[in-house]
Amino acid sequence: MKLWQYLRLSAYETTLLAVFAGLFLLFSLTAPNFLSAANFRSMMVQLPELGLISLGMMAVVLTAGIDLSITFTAALSGIALAWCLSHGWPIPAAMLAGLVTALLCGAFNGVFIAGMRISPIVMTLGTMILYEGIALQFTKGGSISGFPEAYSVIGSGSVAGIPVPMLIFTGAILLTAILLNRTAWGRSVYMIGSNPTAAEFSGIRVRSVLMGVYLFSALMAALAAVIMTSRYNSAKVDYGSSYLLKSVATIVLGGVSIQGGAGTVKGVVLGAAIFQILSSALNLYGLSPHLVDVLTGTVLIFVLAVNLLNQKWKRAPRTRVPPPPEATEAKVPASR
Amino acid sequence: MKRRWFSTLALALAVSLVITACGGGAGGGGGSQSQSSGSPSPSASGGSGGGSSGGSYQIAIVPKLVGIPYFNASEVGAKQAGQDLGVEVIYTGPTEPDAAQQVNVIEDLISRGVDAIAVAPNDPAALTPVLRKAKDAGILVLDWDTPAEADVVELSVHQIDDKVFAEHLVDEMVKGMGDSGEYAILTGGLSASNLNTWIDLGQEYIQSKYPNLKLVTDRIPTDEKQQLAYQKTLDLLRAYPNLKGILAYSTPAPLGAAQAVQERGLQDAITVVGTALPTDSGPFLEDGSLDVAVLWDPAQLGYLTIYLAKHLLDGNKVENGMEVPNVGKIEVKPDGKTVIMGPPTDFLKDNYKDYNF
Repeated sequence: MKLWQYLRLSAYETTLLAVFAGLFLLFSLTAPNFLSAANFRSMMVQLPELGLISLGMMAVVLTAGIDLSITFTAALSGIALAWCLSHGWPIPAAMLAGLVTALLCGAFNGVFIAGMRISPIVMTLGTMILYEGIALQFTKGGSISGFPEAYSVIGSGSVAGIPVPMLIFTGAILLTAILLNRTAWGRSVYMIGSNPTAAEFSGIRVRSVLMGVYLFSALMAALAAVIMTSRYNSAKVDYGSSYLLKSVATIVLGGVSIQGGAGTVKGVVLGAAIFQILSSALNLYGLSPHLVDVLTGTVLIFVLAVNLLNQKWKRAPRTRVPPPPEATEAKVPASR
Repeated sequence: MKRRWFSTLALALAVSLVITACGGGAGGGGGSQSQSSGSPSPSASGGSGGGSSGGSYQIAIVPKLVGIPYFNASEVGAKQAGQDLGVEVIYTGPTEPDAAQQVNVIEDLISRGVDAIAVAPNDPAALTPVLRKAKDAGILVLDWDTPAEADVVELSVHQIDDKVFAEHLVDEMVKGMGDSGEYAILTGGLSASNLNTWIDLGQEYIQSKYPNLKLVTDRIPTDEKQQLAYQKTLDLLRAYPNLKGILAYSTPAPLGAAQAVQERGLQDAITVVGTALPTDSGPFLEDGSLDVAVLWDPAQLGYLTIYLAKHLLDGNKVENGMEVPNVGKIEVKPDGKTVIMGPPTDFLKDNYKDYNF
């Protein structure tokens, strides 16, 4: 009963699912090798990096913020991890070092944004440049490589036919869903995004919730960094830099309101999956990569336009907090 | 409720239409690209990678980045080779110079089951795992333009000998400014490994041969953008009035530097030498704001890469001094897998019009 409720899709998510299914059907029929096991494995290896960064970005955008530093947080975390690995640290210790680095980056954002109320876009623009600079200074622009053989298992291994990156991503999806939907913190995130003043007056400790949001996005960046360093067998300043705006596009496609307050994990995952099958299939066709961008943009605008029309037709005011049964309970959070 | 379903359906339909339309359009307009995406291509029906049933090879050539003049020129050469040799050339790559995106493109090429992949790595180390995967899938792996890690490729196609090229650039600058004085270095990006190689080799050469040349400041990154190179050069000219020479690496950087020199009217006082394409350099070569552009012909490089890929797929070996049509004699290093296309080409005021890239 509970599970069924959990899997219920909103109107917008149904649209997304339909688009996904439509594209999937089309590509299965027309794209060479799309239905092959090799392609599915390959897509499951490609998807998690963007997916993880999108989940991190999503949490921040839900509070009406944005984290422009997320990809360079991942880069810096990856570089710390890579440095430790190449200096003979055991793998878990190196991963911990990467995690700590990312969390420091996230905490730095958090202190200024939550504590000093600096606008998130300005602050993270600053830290984006700062983290890139630190990474560049540390690596002199080169890449760090020379990892133990065992480390490559994360990027290239699989369990029961499912690639390890996908398993990590699945874990992150569950974690995000639980944190956002089943905890007081999660409901506070939505509240702050909808109406920060009301959130403040209803007793939510806005500062610590916001701090948590930036730490969470850093955690996702750290996970993405683990996958990237393993898949690319090295770390470098600009690995994954192209994921920054793509992650914003992904969450917007996934139905997250850029003004904050609305958006679901299911939607974001569907959004990421749509972008992935789109780019893989278009590569399988052998289309010009510029067309891939054109079509990605077209799909994004189409879906958003249809969603807007949908809402107009229904003539219902846009509900900013999605209709969760527990929304009312969340107004009396444990943080009192 | 009804409306929602209607619109969902309409959307799915519309998206499908756009995609099929674009697919058909690109197939027709792309010259020697794949025939059409409307129907599954014959070589794809097998499923797993490896053999091509259609008789002609599918050779994928992956640049660092699509849509910049340099790689566009190499695409033309590669496609030409495809036509001449009767192989299907797939030219695809990342739209941003990010190794992550490049790895994903190669993942998809492996799924597609091409016969050979030639790649210009954005970062050699990052591509090693995915190239190894390609190799395990029975795909011939080559690098071109920029070397990948040596043990994952069957053949490495280089446009020039890095040392010869780096020293030639320095010699050209010294020809213009003399063997003493202040000079500065502009580069496309601090992490571009081929640019760094040339700069490092050039620096070593300067220290041993021209000790009186003085580098005024660290190498200046310009993000592969002419506009930024222009601004940074203006700053340079202001900060170092005695500057006599500029070495500009990456194709947009020399243009930006020359633009600044031209604007300030310092054509005679400052020697600008860099790696640029001849047609772009034309206006600056004319009035001497750019003294010489040194590069190679990227179209030839694309041609050579496809030619050699087919040569290997046919089961042949590459040999030193081998004659390649449209390219000439190539040099093969003693390791048997490093190919050098030829000496660098100087683009000067008198000859830049002879080139069409």
